[in-house]
Amino acid sequence: MPDLASALAHIRSAWISGRSALEYCPPEWRGAVGGADAECALAALAGHATQALFRPAPTSPLVVRSLLPRLAAPTLPERLRPQARRLLLRASKTGALFERPLIELIAARGYAMHPADWTPSPRDDWAPDIYAPWLDWIRGEEKPSPPSLTLETYDQWSFAMRCAALIQLRASDPAVARVIIAAKASAAPAERRAKLIDILETGLCEEDREFLEGQTNDRSDRVQAMARAYLARLGRRVENEPLAAELAAMVEVRLLSRRRQLAVPELKIAAQNARRLELFKQVGLADLAHALGLAEEDIFESAPTGAPDGLGAFVHMVAATGRDRACRLLLDHILDDEAFPLQRAEPLGARLSIAERRALLPRILKRDDEMFQMGLALMGRALGEAPLSALIASPGYAALVSAVEAYRSEDPTQRFPAQATLETALLRVGLLADGPAAAELIQRLTAAGLFASDPKLDLLHLNAALTPETRS
Amino acid sequence: MGLTLSAIEAVAPDQGALQAASGLLKAAKWPLRARSASLIWGECQGSGANPYRVVADVEDQGTKCTCPSRKFPCKHALALMWMAVEDGAAFQTSDVPDWVNDWIRRRRKGAASAPLSAEGKSLEAAQQSLAEIAPDPEGEARRIAASQKRAEETRRSVRAATEDLDVWIADQLRTGLAGFLGAIGERCRRIAARLVDAKAGALASRIDEMPSRLLALPAEERIDAAIAELGKLALLTRAWRAAANDAEMRREVVTAESRDDVFANTESPRVVSLWEVLGERVATRRDGLVSQATWLMSLKETPQRFAALLDFFPASAGRRGAAFIAGERFNAELAFYPACAPLRAVIAARGEAIDGPGTWPEPAADPFAAYADSLLATPWRLEAPLLLPRGRICADASGRAWWRSDGGLCAPLREPPPALALGATIESAMGLWDGARLSLVAARTNWGRLSFNA
Repeated sequence: MPDLASALAHIRSAWISGRSALEYCPPEWRGAVGGADAECALAALAGHATQALFRPAPTSPLVVRSLLPRLAAPTLPERLRPQARRLLLRASKTGALFERPLIELIAARGYAMHPADWTPSPRDDWAPDIYAPWLDWIRGEEKPSPPSLTLETYDQWSFAMRCAALIQLRASDPAVARVIIAAKASAAPAERRAKLIDILETGLCEEDREFLEGQTNDRSDRVQAMARAYLARLGRRVENEPLAAELAAMVEVRLLSRRRQLAVPELKIAAQNARRLELFKQVGLADLAHALGLAEEDIFESAPTGAPDGLGAFVHMVAATGRDRACRLLLDHILDDEAFPLQRAEPLGARLSIAERRALLPRILKRDDEMFQMGLALMGRALGEAPLSALIASPGYAALVSAVEAYRSEDPTQRFPAQATLETALLRVGLLADGPAAAELIQRLTAAGLFASDPKLDLLHLNAALTPETRS
Repeated sequence: MGLTLSAIEAVAPDQGALQAASGLLKAAKWPLRARSASLIWGECQGSGANPYRVVADVEDQGTKCTCPSRKFPCKHALALMWMAVEDGAAFQTSDVPDWVNDWIRRRRKGAASAPLSAEGKSLEAAQQSLAEIAPDPEGEARRIAASQKRAEETRRSVRAATEDLDVWIADQLRTGLAGFLGAIGERCRRIAARLVDAKAGALASRIDEMPSRLLALPAEERIDAAIAELGKLALLTRAWRAAANDAEMRREVVTAESRDDVFANTESPRVVSLWEVLGERVATRRDGLVSQATWLMSLKETPQRFAALLDFFPASAGRRGAAFIAGERFNAELAFYPACAPLRAVIAARGEAIDGPGTWPEPAADPFAAYADSLLATPWRLEAPLLLPRGRICADASGRAWWRSDGGLCAPLREPPPALALGATIESAMGLWDGARLSLVAARTNWGRLSFNA
């Protein structure tokens, strides 16, 4: 074989430079290589020998990854995988932003995607905690996790698994979680520091204040901003009275039926409105209340009123810097006030606990006249829980039925817009509905004229099939 | 409007379409007929290797077919509806498959065009006229004589072309492969054009694709690959001259025989087995055609037997949906194109689909030894399917992916694998090996079946 390899190397060199290679022909081949097309015959034998006897060999050692870990949750049943794949494909083709809620809905029902259908990308920090082992694997950081997370075992954990454990620990023992984060966060890169401090949002309390104060001088702007926002939620004032006073002068507190109401009126000049929007970003709720001479809760005796963009900026400020109770009060009033544009309340969704979202769901849906968009925005990860009664009481449902009718219309000017509307609305309602509601909606919509096998109903079908019974 | 024979007459574009449809009213032409609610669908074996997919809504006679016909509805759709009226029991109730779903998504219920008049169209007349076609022995003899004359002219022309090609190969070696690779596009295009003129169309297509095959490799591997390609061409021209009438040689050099020719050829191997669809490879060629190869593997034979259902269609027709679902298993009789190592096939008869897990044949410990053996039978073949034993997908220092068996055999992959492949145990895999790169098509892993899309 070495002789043949050597001969082939000489033949190759000769042909690269355009010389005859016949003199390098191995003796065993000479009988077959001759005549006018001897070079062709030699090429046939040399090519054949190269392909049959030699294979490319790696020039460096081959590295084998560890096996993709199994997750705690079962993967989707085989019969549901094609639907899930179709939905993900549609999300990627249309650029629709529902890959994330779809993954969250499936996780909320206790299932994980099959890794041949979906795995998180390294930057998918949002992926539900059940995917933490896969996130670590995708990032090449997988390690066997110790049985418990303590200061001593902290470094033995991979990052995503550690975050998942810290989130659990924060829910069960906030002080221990804080001690671990306080001791270890400073050694992490900025992006991961921010992720660790973000965990403190759950169960944020006075005891966190000291650690957060220290983080306001962090070298990362993002961490600083996060720490300041959390401190503001604990009632810390920035002591920037001139700005707070300037903002206070741009809003009004009125008395309405013996209740205070904050008014954010349209200002005369666009530059003034822009300045007010800027101030809402810089001033915290506690500072504004102080400048208005009120306690924080006094501001929330009723829903605020005024210019939509001003109201939106105010809600953003409350969501970023208000205490939990302030956020709940504000959302409560907004849901009761038909005149308040519900879409401006979206930032408050992130401040609600799962239990609060569930409790508010029927009221949110009843106010949602944007085809379930606000319901979806405010429900966060509490997906797949809306009962039929709440869904059909929503203005979104009536709009959905109208969209089905328009979709069946002969008039293309009605039909084509209705198709897009219908696709979006069915995806949203498919994410919100609980299993029985999804099954009933399929019945109603097919009775209204959609094919039962219409792919627009895929998510409702998947939702309806993802009941706990499926697991048995 | 429900589905009736008169409704079918009304929606037919003309009497000719009905007549053509009447020729398709044979169960043998329909490996699949199914229904769900108002939908009926089926697969009709047309002239290609992959069947046409036809769906119709019996409520409004809306139809869709994957055939290239410009008539709407086409003969396949008319035949499907016709059979649904006359033999509805032959349609099995089934779940709506993805390709039917895709069609539904694009249409709305009741969107079919308004029914046309049935005037001048008759199903009865269509069936009668088909039966009345009388044989014409003299015409047939003339056609055969003309065909033989054309074949002889083609043989002469192709012989000259293969001799030209040998000179061209020697020229490339004599003037240096470095220069050949530097101007490979232009040089291959010129000789390919000459081969097309000489009616060696298959050989021309192969040479036309050579630049893209060689330039896809790293520079250091191109010389060896060029020698192999030129050597295979030299072998092919010699083999053709030695047996110009051989069906395989004609297919490799001139053009492939038709599906009907394969069925009519008594030398076509027929294999009845349980087949699993491994996957599909779709490639757009320089001549504007898209090749669609569906790879099947027999689950009843050891050593393994593969089959490729190969179709070509114009790229301008847009991408076709997959003809089969990867992992699907069905009983079928396949007719192989006659060859030293038969691979290309068409479905002669398709039986029922099989649910439940199937077992792949046991792979050889060294699949590359089997590859070397297969090269002895068909040394001009560019790639061969391999069934690979248990192993893993690994990466070298540059990040290139390799398949490596538990026994230490390894081969570089042509395409980057999906993330899961790197973290899965590959129990067994099927790939196409061309001597330099392995294109994985499907694998059985500890996570179940894995498809490698290309």
